[in-house]
Amino acid sequence: MTHHLEEMKKYVIEKTNLNFVGISLFLVFLILSLFAEFISPYSPWDRFEPYSSPSATHILGTNDIGNDILSELIYGTRVSLIVGFGASMIATLLGIIIGLLSGYYRGLTDEILMAITDIFLMIPRIPLIIILAALLRPSFWIIMLLIGFLWWPTTARVVRSSTLQLRDASFVLSSKSIGFSDNKILLSDILPNIVYVIIPKFMLTIASAMFSEASISFLGLGDPSMKSWGMMLNFAFMKGGLINEMWWWYLPPGFCIVAVVFSLMLIGFSLEEKENIVMGLE
Amino acid sequence: MKILDICDLSVTFSTPVGDVFAVNNTSFSLNENETLALVGETGCGKSVIANSIIRLLPQNAKVTGSILFKGIDLLKVSESELEKIRQQEISIIFQNPSLSLNPLYTVGSQIIEPLIIHKKMSKQNSIDKAIQLLKTMGFSNPSKAYGMYPYQLSGGMNQRILLSIAMTLNPSIIIADEPTKGLDNELVRDIIDEFNTVKRVNNSSIILITHDLSVARELSDRIAIMYSGEIIEIGETKKFFKKPLHPYSQALLNSLPEKGFIAPNGTSPSMINVPRGCKFHPRCPYKKQECSKKIPLFYSYDDRSVRCYLFQ
Amino acid sequence: MSEKRRTSIFHKINSRDSMKINLKKVGRYLAAIFIIFSLNFFIPRFMPGDPVTNLLGEDVIITEEALHELKAKMGLDKPLYFQYLDYWNNVFHFDFGYSYHFKGTVTSILLSRIKWTLLLLIPSIFLSAIFGSLFGSLSGWKSSKVSSKSLTLIELAFYSTPTFFLSLLTLYIFSFKLGLFPIKGFYNSGGILDILHHFFLPVCIMTLFLTSRNYMIMRGSVIQEKSKLYVVYAKAKGLSENQVLFRHIFKNASLPLLTLLALDFGFILSGALFIEIIFSMNGMGNLIYEAILSRDYPILYGSFMIISIMVIFANAFVDIIYSLIDPRIGDR
Repeated sequence: MTHHLEEMKKYVIEKTNLNFVGISLFLVFLILSLFAEFISPYSPWDRFEPYSSPSATHILGTNDIGNDILSELIYGTRVSLIVGFGASMIATLLGIIIGLLSGYYRGLTDEILMAITDIFLMIPRIPLIIILAALLRPSFWIIMLLIGFLWWPTTARVVRSSTLQLRDASFVLSSKSIGFSDNKILLSDILPNIVYVIIPKFMLTIASAMFSEASISFLGLGDPSMKSWGMMLNFAFMKGGLINEMWWWYLPPGFCIVAVVFSLMLIGFSLEEKENIVMGLE
Repeated sequence: MKILDICDLSVTFSTPVGDVFAVNNTSFSLNENETLALVGETGCGKSVIANSIIRLLPQNAKVTGSILFKGIDLLKVSESELEKIRQQEISIIFQNPSLSLNPLYTVGSQIIEPLIIHKKMSKQNSIDKAIQLLKTMGFSNPSKAYGMYPYQLSGGMNQRILLSIAMTLNPSIIIADEPTKGLDNELVRDIIDEFNTVKRVNNSSIILITHDLSVARELSDRIAIMYSGEIIEIGETKKFFKKPLHPYSQALLNSLPEKGFIAPNGTSPSMINVPRGCKFHPRCPYKKQECSKKIPLFYSYDDRSVRCYLFQ
Repeated sequence: MSEKRRTSIFHKINSRDSMKINLKKVGRYLAAIFIIFSLNFFIPRFMPGDPVTNLLGEDVIITEEALHELKAKMGLDKPLYFQYLDYWNNVFHFDFGYSYHFKGTVTSILLSRIKWTLLLLIPSIFLSAIFGSLFGSLSGWKSSKVSSKSLTLIELAFYSTPTFFLSLLTLYIFSFKLGLFPIKGFYNSGGILDILHHFFLPVCIMTLFLTSRNYMIMRGSVIQEKSKLYVVYAKAKGLSENQVLFRHIFKNASLPLLTLLALDFGFILSGALFIEIIFSMNGMGNLIYEAILSRDYPILYGSFMIISIMVIFANAFVDIIYSLIDPRIGDR
């Protein structure tokens, strides 16, 4: 009997693909963000009785100016995901360009680009964004740009090392001898072959970007016109949510952040493990 | 007197492309104080046998048969028992000496490690012994060599470090996997000298795995030829080189520079889709009807054994 | 005889390379400091808005005349080049300006607060290094076991949790609900026990956060190392599983951990700041938060600089330790 249970346990463990769990969890949030209008009970801008506890009409209660918290949460998915995705796209694009150029051309180009990368890595990112956000009072899009422009170094490094490995491969050399231009080689020979390292990094960068946006918004430096989860937490903290033990206000957004970041990490992590890369966390 | 007795050893690796039959029903024995050369082409299963003896095969390996060492079956003994046998009774030198050593520790500290762990020797004593070993192994400045890191030494030097480590605890058997691979002639000469020193200083038996026939000829008392996972000929080295028996052995010797570099016809068979009968028969100039039907048993000839129907 | 020649050549190459590489690294650090400090100069002057406000903060209430005097004193009417040199002159005299909100020089305020941040950081870094690398390596060594996989999921969950949220959660459970720990501040009476009582939860959270990170990295690193030949060889030398893990793999696997520690030090510091904010502790974190609320820019610039210096120091420190462990000090 116990032998049977052992066998079953082993089977379940083996078949539970982390990747799958990560993707399904992420899909939940993706669906929430895409179909927020249909899923959410109210618009997050509608006003009701403020500071109300959870009830039948407001499952998660209302915030300090009377918005339904559940609606804020669902629409917040969209905001947080867009920031994360957008920032990651910018960062990954920059990282790919710099990594490719650095790894392919080597020599002085490599030295200079790598020096820039190293220096960028030593600049504390969140404190810098804090200063810039405090001065600029930026919109949501500027924040996305800021994060994107600071998060490219790790992608650049990974792309560079893969490019270094590939540039001496036989198929690249044969393309060179045929006379293909460098651009063509980079785009059609090298790039397709490094996609497998870029994708997990892309996922992890989304997670990192969302994490950072939440942190900055929590400090009150986000875009108040966009209700990201971080902003919700900011108001919860500032407007007495914590002191008055209004857990329905500050716990759900936090858990959502954890859940999305966790799911993205699962996806990125399991993809990286397949390729045997040591976790490059940001 | 037999010190190692391998009986019907088979090793199969399960891979995504199918089962690889690396070693098939191989049996041979090793006597005290003797050097046995295990010769064959790359991929014929020699290293697999070496790793099976100390049970360090990868996870996907399936092993059957028995390996008797001083009466104990190494394949059935517990892991903790085996840890006592490794290095102390049977030591091994892997094919890639530079990668076998930990890059972050000095070679000296890696030599004294078995002494400290297994023999509980004091640090100073073990350092002395290590320096002595290094001197025996031909390092002209042994104290300096002690403090070197593997990346600072050449492949040949690291090979000698491994040899020193193998000798530290005076094991009964030393297994050397391709000790002269990739080394140029002068270094091969050096390694042969070191092995002769080992034989003189220790009383170990040596299993010398190599594809270099001249090294086998110089160092071994007996020689076993492997082909596609099986031993096809085994016997006294002198007699072998005078008159090789198996058609494959003859082809091997013909491929030596002094005989004219004549390579045997065809290519080695697949280890997954194994040919029926004698593995060599597709390339054999003397093949008969029965060769493709059943694997030949060992037949005796002149105190030697051959797996060939020619000697039935 | 040929060996002696060979080994001496190896030695020469080694020392030549390491000299070159150390210079390169020092150059990068100096360049980073230079760029960061320059950023600090250019940002307030080139961002939208009045440069005076950008430099002084928004909490400043002074007369027109005083404003003019200040402008002259700050050299805002002089050409940019002059201002830049002036700025560096101030830097070398450790003059980072004056905070109107906190009513003190930036330097003195920062120095008074930083010790509390360090008090939070140092034990956490130390504890998390031990726990993270220990559990990470054991987990990586036995990576196929259920226990390894479940622990990894748990650690990953912690890693996904922003420090401010973890703090909120912990505060809610342990302080509000259970009343076990104080809610605010960093001391009541100032005694050692009292400080410990106040610091206990924040240090726990910081440690948890850092441990999850160290765990992940160490585990991945060990998984990579354990398939290498020197590990198999160590086994062949008759070492037990634990001996192989701790005598050989551990050292090699901790190298990526060190590298990433340096790389992410900024991230680690930021995490600590958020914890301080939630727990209303008197370190840099709360300082920055207040500065944000009152738009006290001088404090923000000063904090940015001191954090950057800490990051660069951490990088340099790790570089030194790395070169002590890895004799091959080659290119990354």
